Amino acid sequence: MTRWGMVIDLRRCIGCYSCAISCKQEHFLPPGMFWNRVLINETGNYPTVTKQIYPVGCNHCKEAICVKVCPTRATTRREDGIVIIDADKCVGCRYCVVACPYQQRTFHADGKKEYFPGQGLTEYEAIGKELYPLEKGTVVKCNFCAERIEKGIEKGLEPGKDREATPACVINCPTKSRYFGDLDDPSSEVSTLIKEKRGVQLHPEYGTDPSIYYIT
Amino acid sequence: MTESYDWMVKYTPQAEWIERRGIMLWLAFFFIELGAGTFFVSAFFGILPIMLTGWLLCAVIGGGFHLAFLGKPQRFWRILISSGWKTSWISRGLFFVFLFLVLGLIHMILSQWANPSTALLVAANIFCFLTIIYGGFAMNYINGIPLWNSALLPILYLISGIWGGAEVTLGLTLAGAGASAGLAAEEWIRLLLIGFLILILIYLISVRYTSQTGQASVRVMVQGKWSALFWIGVVLIGMVVPLITVIFSFFSGLEAIPAAVFYAAILCGLLGDLIVRYLILRCGMYNPLIQSSARTVSVPG
Repeated sequence: MTRWGMVIDLRRCIGCYSCAISCKQEHFLPPGMFWNRVLINETGNYPTVTKQIYPVGCNHCKEAICVKVCPTRATTRREDGIVIIDADKCVGCRYCVVACPYQQRTFHADGKKEYFPGQGLTEYEAIGKELYPLEKGTVVKCNFCAERIEKGIEKGLEPGKDREATPACVINCPTKSRYFGDLDDPSSEVSTLIKEKRGVQLHPEYGTDPSIYYIT
Repeated sequence: MTESYDWMVKYTPQAEWIERRGIMLWLAFFFIELGAGTFFVSAFFGILPIMLTGWLLCAVIGGGFHLAFLGKPQRFWRILISSGWKTSWISRGLFFVFLFLVLGLIHMILSQWANPSTALLVAANIFCFLTIIYGGFAMNYINGIPLWNSALLPILYLISGIWGGAEVTLGLTLAGAGASAGLAAEEWIRLLLIGFLILILIYLISVRYTSQTGQASVRVMVQGKWSALFWIGVVLIGMVVPLITVIFSFFSGLEAIPAAVFYAAILCGLLGDLIVRYLILRCGMYNPLIQSSARTVSVPG
């Protein structure tokens, strides 16, 4: 069985936000909506300041709490481990938004937001509304670029190795700090990295078993 | 409001269930539980007009707010046909409310025009009880928010729902909808009010010692940004005023107190209950995602 997952090497990440921007671009996300974020925390006082950079996104948890709380089963976990939302089933109760301890879900409340308010949609936004329509009044989130993965597999490509079949945030990372692959395959690059570099999950105490690991 | 650069780096308040249209959910939980509590208490005394009032509060006002909260209200029926009830408390809650409303309505119709069935009343009251408590379980299930992830929350909501119901029952009996039950309802209020006071104290203390985020949530509520609302709205208006009234009535008798004073105390009690629920929703905060930062960040507010 395949379980798509990601490894983020925090030692390589420089906090450039390429992942966040490429994700917005890939999915034509409206203003204010991010499926990938970069958290930056500064602690200490000059000259001993510590800066922590954590790129975060949906963890596609194996024991996803969002799947459990969804009253209409709009949120499901596919066989390949990707947690997806069926916009046609979502009633917009936002239980999943509140329940996600990683806060990686967004309620799409305003479908009319423009990047340049009052000046109409840009060509890019107009194309986005056709190619990647987000339904107002429903919950949206990262889908590990499931479309890219599916199309890539159809073409005989391998997600994580071939750019065309790999999530946008991974291929656009300029420092190559993101890795994508099958967590259930012990010989995959991600499994090897987790094993050798002692990859850790975010807040494992929640018991959600996230599919994103961090190398610190 | 958390600054965008502090989002999930410091303690981050939940927003979806209290800000913008989230306000509707706060009111929905309140009116659903108040209505069910009113039905529960008045059914105990067998006062049909007050049972109907509780039923309407739950179905029309509570249900209306619930629908207004949903992003896609026209799809609410999907909750009833899916298998979400196996794991989702919102789904279970809708089933409880639906069954309570149907069974309660049948019972009231039979009571008015035919012979009421005791089994039906018991069944209606079981689902009524579950309707009061489900909101607490829905919130208690969320382990990312320590303020909500307390086993005491469903009990707190249960007591406040029945307490509110007893207050509405007393208010309406004073208005003449079944005067004999007023005295008994007032006894319920005394016990439930004291129970509510003790429970909220234990709840806040227990959350305070659960985790640093729990501590931050309680501090925001009682010492920080929302402290004025807590001390004036919850403690003074919601607890002290009703408590003085019930103590006075305990020693001097229900008849010695003017009805206007009782109405004022009832309104204060209901307002306090509403504010408690608001603060629990408003002060619920998430643990920061970056673990080490939890030790150094300051508490918002």
